[in-house]
Amino acid sequence: MADSGVRRRRVFVTGIGLVSPHGGDPDEVFERLYRGESAVRKVRSGTAELGGDALLAQAEFDPAGIIPKLQLVVTDRVSQMAVVAAHRALSASGLLTDNSGPADMGVYMGCGLGGSQALQDSYRVYFERRSRKLKPATVALIMANAPAGHISMRYKLKGPALTYSVACASSAIAIGEAFRAIRDGYLDRAVAGGTEAMLNDGSVSAWEVLGVLAKEHPDGPGASSRPFAKDRTGFVIGEGAAVLTLETESAVQARGGASIAEIVGYGGSSDAHNLTQPAADGQVRAMRIALADAGLAPEAVGYINAHATATPAGDRIEIDAIKEVFGDHARKLLVSATKSMHGHLVGAAGALEFAITALALRKGRVPPTANLTDPDPECDLDCVPRTGRECPDLAVALSNSFAFGGSNAVLVASRV
Amino acid sequence: MSSFIHIQETLVSKYGVQADVIKPEATLTELGLDSLSIAELMFDVSDHYGIDIPDDRANFNTLGEAVALVDGLVKEKGG
Repeated sequence: MADSGVRRRRVFVTGIGLVSPHGGDPDEVFERLYRGESAVRKVRSGTAELGGDALLAQAEFDPAGIIPKLQLVVTDRVSQMAVVAAHRALSASGLLTDNSGPADMGVYMGCGLGGSQALQDSYRVYFERRSRKLKPATVALIMANAPAGHISMRYKLKGPALTYSVACASSAIAIGEAFRAIRDGYLDRAVAGGTEAMLNDGSVSAWEVLGVLAKEHPDGPGASSRPFAKDRTGFVIGEGAAVLTLETESAVQARGGASIAEIVGYGGSSDAHNLTQPAADGQVRAMRIALADAGLAPEAVGYINAHATATPAGDRIEIDAIKEVFGDHARKLLVSATKSMHGHLVGAAGALEFAITALALRKGRVPPTANLTDPDPECDLDCVPRTGRECPDLAVALSNSFAFGGSNAVLVASRV
Repeated sequence: MSSFIHIQETLVSKYGVQADVIKPEATLTELGLDSLSIAELMFDVSDHYGIDIPDDRANFNTLGEAVALVDGLVKEKGG
């Protein structure tokens, strides 16, 4: 890797804010995951004529008291969830004063699709009402960078407000890029994370025809997302937002703040192979670059929160990539797929999973892969089946995110 | 019948504006609306009355002026 010669500063996670299928309180979310609880439900979706049953991981939240009604009118669900998660992160970190955050803060958000409900509503007016009279705010509702803009405006954060739209790796990349900007001296703190809200019928139909979604398991909707299992059939789409506050060591110390975990490395790569098929080679490079960035040997790592979406091809490729990077140490690692419980949050997936990884480091406890009753013989690492594992010596963990389009992002965090 | 009542009800129920500050002489900005939410409000109102607000006539500042514009367009439509 090129040596930039930049003095590197340490970067800490000081707050976590969630709007997730398991709720909004990070500790409560972690406990539910640790117990192996699924948030996947079967939901009737769409119109009477065309609708169908869909397996979804929906996030419930109430924007009242955080977003004024005046703003709700011009704020899509995807932005509402982002603002609520940002509010919770800023509040948890102690950075929120009189409904404002520090003016020097940047906003780094990931989002796959943008305001997909507003997009669907606008097409409905055009094609069903045969009218060109769309809501005046349609463009502002749909644009993928609206969530970052709303967070910046709402909390008066005047650093860069950036959006990364890189499918399933969007928010891991947002966190990684914020980490780099802070580490290398471009800013002292940022809110970073991701948001996604596309559980409407138009978007769900598009995922269905791609052939990547899980079939309902005989044991029920909650048993349907089965990463690393022999009988896995695909993933369940989820929605939500996860936002972290990231700060330099001196910024945290200056205000007497507390840290949850330290971000120590970030690596990215591209497969240059196929738009939807993953490739081990790209994943191997991303993990190696992230470890080199952290200055850590593979043996330092104790846990990987895998990308593992439960597609038949994807999970096996990721296990192969982990084996190649970690060699003999792969057998000593814990590798779990929390998508088994919260589903695939696409643009918010990397941020939610990194938040869970940071909490695992802080608590010394690793969340499981739910529904892993009959493992695929080719996924033969310790995938923490069904219930969480006490791991008091856990010091370093990875969070993998691999996207459609062939983009890979790996974040490395360490215990504080 | 004046559109004031309908606009007032919309401002309270959908936009969360306090009823006691909604007066004809208040500007929509004073009521807390920005350019985007003003456009949304007038869209909702024109949809309700089935009227079109031509761009060259959409020059109002106060709520009273907006009401007068809507009332005029409703009358022209024959409502």
